[in-house]
Amino acid sequence: MLPRGLALAGQPVLGTLDITVSAGSVTALLGPSGSGKSTLLRLVAGLLPVPAGGRVIGDDGRSVAGRVAYMAQQDLLAPWRDVLGNVVMGAHLRGLRPDLNRARSLIAEVGLTEADSEKMPAQLSGGMRQRVALARTLMEDRPVVLMDEPFSAVDAPTRHRMQSLSARLLAGRTVLLVTHDPLEALRLADRILVLGGTPAVPADVAVPAGRPPRPAADPALLAAQAALLERLAEAVP
Amino acid sequence: MIRGLIAATGLVLLWQGFVWLTEVPPFLLPSPFRVAQALLARWDIILGHALITGTEILLGLALGALLGCAMALTLVAWPAGRRWLLPLLLVSQAIPVFAIAPLLTLWLGFGMGSKVAMATMIIFFPVATAFYDGLRRTEPGLLDLASTMGASRGAMLWRVRVPAALPALASGLRVAAGVAPIGAVVGEWVGSSAGLGYLMLQANGRSQADVMFAALFVLALMALALWFATDRLLRRAIPWQPDSLFSPDLHSFNDRKPT
Amino acid sequence: MMKRILAAIAALVIAAPPLAAQPARDSVTLLLDWFINPDHAPIIIAQERGDFARAGLDVRIVAPADPNDPPRLVGARRGDLGVYYQKNLHLAVDQGLPLMRVGTLVATPLSTLTVLRDGPIRTLADLRGKRVGYSVAGFEEVTMGTMLESAGLRLSDVRLVNVNFALSSALMSGQVDAILGGFRNFELHQLDIEGRPGRAFFPEQYGMPAYDELIYITHRDRSRDPILRRFIDATEAATHFLVNNPEESWRMFIAGQRRELDNELNRRAFASTANRFSLSPGALDRNRYERFARYLADRQMIRSVPALETYAVELPGATTAR
Repeated sequence: MLPRGLALAGQPVLGTLDITVSAGSVTALLGPSGSGKSTLLRLVAGLLPVPAGGRVIGDDGRSVAGRVAYMAQQDLLAPWRDVLGNVVMGAHLRGLRPDLNRARSLIAEVGLTEADSEKMPAQLSGGMRQRVALARTLMEDRPVVLMDEPFSAVDAPTRHRMQSLSARLLAGRTVLLVTHDPLEALRLADRILVLGGTPAVPADVAVPAGRPPRPAADPALLAAQAALLERLAEAVP
Repeated sequence: MIRGLIAATGLVLLWQGFVWLTEVPPFLLPSPFRVAQALLARWDIILGHALITGTEILLGLALGALLGCAMALTLVAWPAGRRWLLPLLLVSQAIPVFAIAPLLTLWLGFGMGSKVAMATMIIFFPVATAFYDGLRRTEPGLLDLASTMGASRGAMLWRVRVPAALPALASGLRVAAGVAPIGAVVGEWVGSSAGLGYLMLQANGRSQADVMFAALFVLALMALALWFATDRLLRRAIPWQPDSLFSPDLHSFNDRKPT
Repeated sequence: MMKRILAAIAALVIAAPPLAAQPARDSVTLLLDWFINPDHAPIIIAQERGDFARAGLDVRIVAPADPNDPPRLVGARRGDLGVYYQKNLHLAVDQGLPLMRVGTLVATPLSTLTVLRDGPIRTLADLRGKRVGYSVAGFEEVTMGTMLESAGLRLSDVRLVNVNFALSSALMSGQVDAILGGFRNFELHQLDIEGRPGRAFFPEQYGMPAYDELIYITHRDRSRDPILRRFIDATEAATHFLVNNPEESWRMFIAGQRRELDNELNRRAFASTANRFSLSPGALDRNRYERFARYLADRQMIRSVPALETYAVELPGATTAR
């Protein structure tokens, strides 16, 4: 909730906001580049200080700090640790003993092999690295998962597979997904918010029927995608 | 290894050719042959001096690297101290060695101590700045991720910044390895009774150009050996840093192409 | 008519070069052994007083930072004349440098072994087990060895320590017990001024043959060049003027850009060097050079004693009085 919006470096980026994200569902934040969606996500992640009067709270009234897991556009794998080491990065940073068995099973769930778990990030392809990032996010086992255009850096087929995979594995968690790809939003989200205007404010958009991940071939979905693209294109000066 | 030898032979031939072509007098640039003669005639004396200089170099390198790392870590971990530590770091580089050399000999005597101190001072700066730079330039995304994972300030420094900065530190150490011989030799020029730098001074005073160049040659060999040894050690210590110029050497990884 | 004009032009063309090419002066590049100091007084005075100009010379004085540069540069013909040390000339010539001594600047040794006057060392024998500081010049072992022998000691009885150029301060701070290579006309005054007077042991009194501390050298192939004779004669005139007029000579020494040399140390050094300049700079003491060469050969500092005329000569006399 941001009663007075958020300004970064003096420029108003986000306008007055009051968003409620339903638990256990996927909410997509859509918008053209620079519309402030990443800013909003970073705010929720605790990476930006919340301005006066604003709050980021869970439905129990307490702050969400410590209850979020963050997955960015770059895989952000530590090049000096192998795949297994990266998956348990959170425990390592918190100074706790990692649950290696759980880590290994997550690595398998994202579709990587036992042999892969000993490789270094430099030896993996982009798609494989993003899978590792996903495993790491799941390892954190947090109720809220924030994703900032997580699949935009990989090619279309891989992106498609990753979308299906993450929809399956993240089921039941509260996901805030930032994306600039309308198709991705339509496939994965229970609710779509489009950020527009300067300062940006969110607006709800109709979501096609069916549970995510929705098939891309669905004509209703394709029509919605066309409409969204038009709408996003208008916002671009 | 073979390529190195071929390169070395080529250089020696070039040297000989230059001397022969330009007819430069031997008291300015002796031919490789004369230098080899001087080297063989006094190999035991030169070896003795080389061992002394070598020890100074290694000790200076170790001490300078350690202090440089400590300085870099302090600068990062102590923002308040940074304001006056950073100028101190820069000034340490600007002071010419012969200005402080007499002070060092006053405090540390005429033995190896003052030479090691001088080498340390010369090595300290490249290591400190390289490591500090690396620590500062940690990829912000990694820091963000660590922050969301609840990493403490200590964990941020030691488990994120430091490992990420190791390639930068390695660069600084390579520079230090290249510069260490100079540090030791300059220290010897300014006040010592042993070592290759001292030998060069003495040969200079006696117009013995061949001995001077023989000492110089041995020093160059030591500098090369040190650099390559350091490079190899660093590449082994930081194997995850992909080096596009040396990939055939990464034999610890398999050659599977990424999918 | 045309023929006359052409003849006139031809005559002018032929006559013009000799008329136009009257060089005002011959240029001479002189490389000093060190920065300008009172040891170079005759040269400076010859410059100031116009002795060089009257000799038709335009002398360019260059001060290299390394005392070992003049022999190399002169040997490579990058300088006409150099100031060097007789002791080191023997070594350089033995190493094949094509040098020739053509004149003497300072006709006595200047180097000393110096201790603090109020220190524990009264005689050379007291040096046993002590530290001796020196500046690397290649001669320290020979000089020290010779002087110690005269006191019944060996080189291994003392510890030689390179203090680079900080001779006086090393002695005064107690880092060393004696210094080798300080000049009697310089370091001794320095110690005096600092309130820590020294006691000097003169090498030529303790076994070392007397030698010329500072000499003029040139490339061996140029030793017959008449320009050099004019140079030496000009320094001779300046030296005599100095001996006769010490006060006025000092004022000339510190004139103009050399103002910064006007201090107590240089003043005292100037006064005590005045009686050490060669009054016959062109004259060669054959015995002095041959004796020193034999001395060095005996101590294996040089491989053989070469014929004197290959490295030291008196220049041919001037053919016209100028």
